[in-house]
Amino acid sequence: MDKRQESYEVNLFNPKQGYMRGEVVLILAILVGWGVVNFGFQAVLWLLAENPVGEGIFTRLTFFNLPYHFWFTAQFLPLWFIILCVIFNIYLDRLTERHSRRRDRTYE
Amino acid sequence: MNSDPVKFWPLLIVTGVLVSFVLAGLRAKSQEMSDYGFSGRYIGRIGGGAAIASNWMSAASFLGMAGLLYLQGYFALAYVIGWTGGYVLLLVLMAGQIRRFGKYTAPDFVGARYDSDVARLLAALISITISVIYCVAQFKGIGMLFGWLFGIDYGRGVVLGGAVVVCYVVVCGMLGVARNQQMQYFVVIVSFILPLMFLAHRFGYFWLLPQFGYGEGIQDLATEFNIDFTAPFASGSLFQWVALCFTLMVGTAGLPHVLSRFYILPNVRDARWSVVWGLFFIALIYWSAPAYAVFARLLEARGGYIPDPAVAGKMADIMVLKTAVMGGVPVWLTGLLAAGAVSAAFFTVTGLLMTGASSLSHDIYYRLINPQASESRKMAIAKGGTLVLAALVLVISLRPPALIAEITAVAFALAGNTIFPAFLLGIWWGRANRQGVIAGMVLGVMITFAAPLCGNAIPLFASIFPVTSSAFCGAPLVVLVMVVVSLLTPPPSEEMRRFLAEVVHGHLD
Repeated sequence: MDKRQESYEVNLFNPKQGYMRGEVVLILAILVGWGVVNFGFQAVLWLLAENPVGEGIFTRLTFFNLPYHFWFTAQFLPLWFIILCVIFNIYLDRLTERHSRRRDRTYE
Repeated sequence: MNSDPVKFWPLLIVTGVLVSFVLAGLRAKSQEMSDYGFSGRYIGRIGGGAAIASNWMSAASFLGMAGLLYLQGYFALAYVIGWTGGYVLLLVLMAGQIRRFGKYTAPDFVGARYDSDVARLLAALISITISVIYCVAQFKGIGMLFGWLFGIDYGRGVVLGGAVVVCYVVVCGMLGVARNQQMQYFVVIVSFILPLMFLAHRFGYFWLLPQFGYGEGIQDLATEFNIDFTAPFASGSLFQWVALCFTLMVGTAGLPHVLSRFYILPNVRDARWSVVWGLFFIALIYWSAPAYAVFARLLEARGGYIPDPAVAGKMADIMVLKTAVMGGVPVWLTGLLAAGAVSAAFFTVTGLLMTGASSLSHDIYYRLINPQASESRKMAIAKGGTLVLAALVLVISLRPPALIAEITAVAFALAGNTIFPAFLLGIWWGRANRQGVIAGMVLGVMITFAAPLCGNAIPLFASIFPVTSSAFCGAPLVVLVMVVVSLLTPPPSEEMRRFLAEVVHGHLD
């Protein structure tokens, strides 16, 4: 593959230099936060389960009058997704501005 | 059910709300050309978010989710998480790139990206199937609502409701009614939250934010009646929960009518921020849905009437309304609640039937059968298509196969197994080619329908590709097959790969 062709390879796991690299690092970081907190918590719940229906330390603790695990999944996780989206947008805005300024292009 | 009276006031309020949408739409039409397109009025990030949320709100969110929570407790939270977490995937992986790619619908994107009519046809057929399945769930909701409003059984309710919704679509189409999605969202959220505040107040819980006040209800259920509503794995295993949640997430990021929402705002940055607002507005409803489920359980327990599972399953989809009635909510407020539910279902059906019909006329008829077709001929096909699809949906929904949210989940599984991988690799891997996408989409369809069609003969399918949750194992498998087939066949045209690198990903280099 010659050099010219390589300059337009698109691959999520091997992004080209510049804007796309910064964007991909951000995307992967957000996806890690998305997967670990959500699926990780369910796995922890399963690990700490004391009986087949899954009662354990988290189901006995309460928070906002709710059992802790119910609060975490029903109320915190949707909020967490919103927080992740806000973080993503703020950082992507910054990244876009940095690269737009460098090339003196102000759209977006 | 036959002896139930016609609910006069709720019926009046429902009619009034629907008519006012038509009138508001007509007024808006005389002021501007359309909501869509770049010529339209600038609606801002919050307005864009409300539009995303109202586009999303359906009978599944309004009725189905609370019904499943009522039946299954913690397990049904997989729906809450799946339908909010999916927006994270959508935002970070697709929103900006799809916009820069510049194709409005799923078949258009797939056809252009992979430069293949076969792939476009497959994507169009899949989009139509998704629309039909999704509509069946809405029709079930409409049927139950009309049954309740008119005091008739479900079968007659769904025929009557189906006729009304089709008339509504036709009238709106003929008059050219603009969809005021901000107003739609406002009606839906107010009609969902107000009765909940009333119920929380009546129970003596914290009523200002019933989303947080229902915690006491869960404790009362546990202490007074020894009903544990929250045991994590009472209704399904960890695998089933995660599989369902993941399926709904990738399905959200692959639903054709959701993907095409990124074009109403003038630039990418506003489109991204409007997703955040949209997610917040959606979460407002989803934070509240468990409260209906808890209040329903509590009212039943206190009334000394605990239905057996078969009866509970039959009425779960209209549990939201039954709770309001049982809890002594004033009749005008119950009417408002019914109006919100009918609006959510009607607007979803309108959007889906139009999406399906335009796929039929544009992607299949115009692009593949008769490229010389005139505009009026295309319109005629689209109109006929709407009626054919509606009839098909009605026939299926006469015998609804499952609960509203479960039927909807199958549409999500199909989207997650086919459209999501096609977009994901289409955007993020320049080497993905037409052979890969065709193989992937065909496999995705087979995986989605493996469990219902041959789950009995081959029990393994039923356990790794459960009907509502097949994308957890399915989507990664489809991605893998797309990668392998793409690598074994010639790469896509240099032109497309350059476009992807320079326009979609290199716009700032």
